[in-house]
Amino acid sequence: MIKFQNVNKKYDNGYEALKDINLTIEQGEYVAVIGLSGAGKSTLIRCINRMHDISSGSLMVNDVEVSTLKGKEVRKLRRGIGMIFQSFNLVNRISSLKNVLVSFVPDMSMWRKILGLYTKQQKIEALEALDRMNILDKAFIRVDQLSGGQQQRVALARTLAQKPSIILADEPVASLDPITAKQVMTDFQRINEELNMTIIINIHHVDLALEYATRVVGIRSGEIVYDGPASEVTEQILEHIYNGKLEEELSGN
Amino acid sequence: MSILKAKSVELPNGKTITFKRSKAPWIILVLLICFYYSVQITGFDMQVLAKRIGQFWVIIGDMIPPNWKYLNKLWQPLFDTIKMSLLGSILGAVFALPLAYFASSNMIKNKSVVAAFKFILSLLRTLPTLVAALIATFIFGIGTMAGTVAIFIFTVAYVGKLLYEQIENADLKAFEAMHSMGHTTISAFRCAIMPQIMPNYLSNAIFCFEGNVRYAAILGYVGAGGIGLMLNESLGWRNYANVGMILLLLVVTVFIIESISEYFRKKLM
Repeated sequence: MIKFQNVNKKYDNGYEALKDINLTIEQGEYVAVIGLSGAGKSTLIRCINRMHDISSGSLMVNDVEVSTLKGKEVRKLRRGIGMIFQSFNLVNRISSLKNVLVSFVPDMSMWRKILGLYTKQQKIEALEALDRMNILDKAFIRVDQLSGGQQQRVALARTLAQKPSIILADEPVASLDPITAKQVMTDFQRINEELNMTIIINIHHVDLALEYATRVVGIRSGEIVYDGPASEVTEQILEHIYNGKLEEELSGN
Repeated sequence: MSILKAKSVELPNGKTITFKRSKAPWIILVLLICFYYSVQITGFDMQVLAKRIGQFWVIIGDMIPPNWKYLNKLWQPLFDTIKMSLLGSILGAVFALPLAYFASSNMIKNKSVVAAFKFILSLLRTLPTLVAALIATFIFGIGTMAGTVAIFIFTVAYVGKLLYEQIENADLKAFEAMHSMGHTTISAFRCAIMPQIMPNYLSNAIFCFEGNVRYAAILGYVGAGGIGLMLNESLGWRNYANVGMILLLLVVTVFIIESISEYFRKKLM
């Protein structure tokens, strides 16, 4: 369970990215976070695994207060949370299999880390993760030779090998074509249903968000302006999330 | 001054566009002045060059044919030279990695640590190898040990500098992903940055070794062992046939090592 209570986030330059966020996400939900660029979507999900610090309030992840964690505890938190990026963030020069294997590295002994020696069990688990994403046949191919969709699947396999309870995805389909984007969204759905992992996705494609996610959170200039089932999102609500700024300015004038 | 005047053209639709005027004439003028004064200051004299150039051919003539009997005495110093450069290069390249890591501003957040390591690397780079070798002979005594240390220092500085520049230019996307899954910074460096920099790192180390063989050949001049010692001795005795033999051997050796190095560096790219 993820619980934001009165969370504020102010950047060093004074920009208020999150304002008084209250949000509870139960284990196993598939949540899409929508809103304009710069509304705070990315900041919101990056607070969950402490890639960003919050300025005030309380943020609990699986009954652990995230904001006070230090060093080793932060890394332990992150071990339990997977992250997917817009540009896949894979190591380009090495094979898919090796990319998946790096998710075991933090738990390995010093000398195994340095030499990059993985156990047979780890290799089997990594191959299983690739198989789950249907790209087992690309295991020994360098990732820079794969298509965007395939690379995102390798990234998903890497995250799965980590066995997280939560997956955060920051614009996972923004650099993919529409068909591949749908496939990747289906992959998330499958992971969500089969493994009961919480999925939180930042997404610009509203149609995909409504089609695949079960819950939608709308963010506008750092505030949650909608939180409800995807099925209940109407044209007016979208207008509210995306054009609210415009409305405000018009009424202000 | 017409060449310096800004040119402007008018497009058919009436818009005018002004070109920037070229600075080339000024630059050429400055270069000519510099050239004139450098000739004056260094006392370069065309007449001396024309008069004495013949001596060059005399020495070359003395070197041919080289003294083949001398070859037997040269193998040991030659291997010393190669050993010196190989050992110094390998150790230097290995030590360069941690230094470069700590000198990279995107890996180490503490600015004073980064500045300190960058300073160490540039300090080592300003030390000419010959001077380093000379100092090393005072510390370790005359012989190959001093040469190895000098080459080690040069390699650390050279490979280290190129390496930290590569680390700072590396793609940090995968590095960010490593952090997000709970890696420490060192571990993220090992998994995300090392694969990116490895080919260039090895290539630079091999290239450095190639240059070091040539450097090592003259280190004998300051007593740091190897074939330079023999070269110094033969030149001192004006024994040009011996000098010719040494130079021939060096040319062949350097050529072989360069070919091998080029082959492996091409493979790495």
